[in-house]
Amino acid sequence: MPSGVEMSMELKEQSRSGEDVFIERFEDLIGPNTNGSESEWTLNRRNAIQVFAQNGFPNKKSESYKYTPVTKWLQSQLKNGMHTAAGSSVQSGNLKNEALPTPLLDESEVRGEPSSLENMKGLHVHATNGLIRGSLSEALPTGLIICSFKQALVDHPKLLSEYLTKAVVLERDPFAALASAFAEDGILIFVPAGLEVEKAIVIHHDALFSNSLIQARLLVVAEEGTKVNVIEHFPFLDAGSSFENRVAEVFAGKGARVDHVLVMERNDQTLFVNSLFVHQDANSFFRTNTVTLGGGLVRHNLNFLPDAEECETHLHGLYVAKGTAHVDNHTLVDHAKPNCFSNEIFKGIVTNQAVGVFNGKVLVRQDAQKTNAYQSSKCIVLDRGARTYAKPELEIYADDVKCSHGATTGELDEDALFYLRARGIHPDAAKLMLLEAFAKDIIGLIDFDEVRNYLYQRLHGLLTVTK
Amino acid sequence: MLEIKNLHVSIEEDGTEILKGLNLKVGSGEVHAIMGPNGSGKSTLASVLAGKDGYEVTNGTVAFCGDDLLELAADERAREGLFLAFQYPIELPGVSMSNFLKQAVQSVREHQGKEALTSGALLQMMKEKAALVHLDPALKSRSVNEGFSGGEKKRNEIFQLAMLEPKFAILDETDSGLDIDALRIVADGVNHLRSPERSFLLITHYQRLLDYIVPDFVHVLMNGRIVMTGGKELALELEEKGYDWIKDETTQLA
Ligand SMILES: Nc1ncnc2c1ncn2[C@@H]1O[C@H](COP(=O)(O)OP(=O)(O)O)[C@@H](O)[C@H]1O
Ligand SMILES: [Mg+2]
Repeated sequence: MPSGVEMSMELKEQSRSGEDVFIERFEDLIGPNTNGSESEWTLNRRNAIQVFAQNGFPNKKSESYKYTPVTKWLQSQLKNGMHTAAGSSVQSGNLKNEALPTPLLDESEVRGEPSSLENMKGLHVHATNGLIRGSLSEALPTGLIICSFKQALVDHPKLLSEYLTKAVVLERDPFAALASAFAEDGILIFVPAGLEVEKAIVIHHDALFSNSLIQARLLVVAEEGTKVNVIEHFPFLDAGSSFENRVAEVFAGKGARVDHVLVMERNDQTLFVNSLFVHQDANSFFRTNTVTLGGGLVRHNLNFLPDAEECETHLHGLYVAKGTAHVDNHTLVDHAKPNCFSNEIFKGIVTNQAVGVFNGKVLVRQDAQKTNAYQSSKCIVLDRGARTYAKPELEIYADDVKCSHGATTGELDEDALFYLRARGIHPDAAKLMLLEAFAKDIIGLIDFDEVRNYLYQRLHGLLTVTK
Repeated sequence: MLEIKNLHVSIEEDGTEILKGLNLKVGSGEVHAIMGPNGSGKSTLASVLAGKDGYEVTNGTVAFCGDDLLELAADERAREGLFLAFQYPIELPGVSMSNFLKQAVQSVREHQGKEALTSGALLQMMKEKAALVHLDPALKSRSVNEGFSGGEKKRNEIFQLAMLEPKFAILDETDSGLDIDALRIVADGVNHLRSPERSFLLITHYQRLLDYIVPDFVHVLMNGRIVMTGGKELALELEEKGYDWIKDETTQLA
């Protein structure tokens, strides 16, 4: 049995709070700081667990989790005996060099069906519990590094100490703090100055230990003048009620162009907290397209800090929440410097008893003159049982800015439906056409044909059975 | 083909009665024009015939080719061969013209027991029918009605009519807002589509359209009823004298 499962704890006692479980777990893992000569990374982790201990999980008073009961979900999963330390046993290494031995697989590891994203042109990375499994599909361009943190610690220690956890604001979110404390390993993507990576880097998060807590971590460093596309796929896995608390950090250097797509399709018992922290240097371009088509409770914490002039930031998001799913997109664009542009477009389709939440905060600090910041959130509610909450927040301290926001929620347009039906189109087909048209706005913004086509297919399947 | 008897229709929301005992019979291949002042209930009649929600039929019957039209859902009516050219065509961002037409044509054909068109045949048909109303074939890759000019929207309605080949077509003020050239194009298209198996109900505000599409009958709709029926000369008379004299006449009759 791999150690990840050996170390896991049966957490059936109800007396301890969720926080204590993790704090004790951390102490077991790291031990007390006896000689004071620990690595910076370990010190960072100690700091993170302290911040987590101080803040605790969100409770009823936590404004930013008002509509999203993550803690309740988590506690019920802990009671049901979720493994809390899975993942640390998975071997990984530097993909640059040679094929790695296949890691030990546990019988509780669940892998997804190969999806069509497997076949797209790209540099494919497969991950179990957020850690690289096996070898890369092909040789990497010179200078590009895709490897585990553990490998990086040996080969490129400076890189990690320079960047890892530096974009995360621990105080902002207890889940980010928790994940930072448990960040034993992760995936590093490093694009050296001037390199334009032609093929997309496609990370298939396609295997998990079942019923486990997984704190996966991704660090993307794109130096000055680089171009890189990172596509992350979290496909459907029959992995029980796992909790993935993952943190991704992205550093876009001067003039860099970083394009990110995340496709979330986990099963309906999955708790998924995705914290993305993006730091942008001057003249950089960053875009994410966060597409949520599955999961039980999904919370995206998307944080952007354009920290120099002339940055361009695009946040696109689409979600389809069905059944009893709960999907929450929580975004913050923190405009700290002048002459930046940000545009945020989120669209959602919510049906059955599902819940859709959108919270978009745009902060324009006093120095950030000539900021252009736009935000729009649109949600279609197909069922009386479904609920949505939208809260745009503009906080502007500079006087010469252009900002706008709009949030709409409504049913499918009756007149549009009638128009289609008046042409002989069956009501279900008509609804599907309108929903696909609605979603197309977002999917159409993705650069890769293969990804767009994959998403259109998935959407078609999802919405066809949606009444 | 279509027989409306004593049709009473109210707005569902507030119960206001709009149509108050309307009678109309349209035979195969006939072209009927309905004229009437604004707000007299012309679009309401069109909507009720097409099966739009929001109206309540409180009395009366509508037979379409022998069937009870009011029993059918809007999409079933369309598949049975009823077509409404909208007074205000709806814009459908993200729904391409070609997908829209494909879905519509194939649904209707399937229902009528015709074989599905190959995409090649469908494309060819689109090309021919678009030419009929001088519609730029490039429009087919655009979203339905999105960014179309007023005239293009109206011509697009006739284009769809041509694609779906209905038995009975209602044109709700297809002429309004068109300049004389566009009006001619639309009228030529409609005339081209006239046939002994296809009937038309032209709803219009102006006599002008009827110079180009010559109707068999002209009806005047006022206060929710057909108050007068005549030949094509009636349209000219209405153009000249307006509607007030009819009001006088009908009140005298009452
Ligand atoms: N959906 C509706 N809700 C409320 N009132 C309506 C509705 N449809 C029509 N009406 C009213 O019914 C009357 C007839 O309208 P309409 O049929 O559009 O007339 P026309 O097409 O002859 O100008 C008008 O007074 C209009 O305001
Ligand atoms: Mg009208």
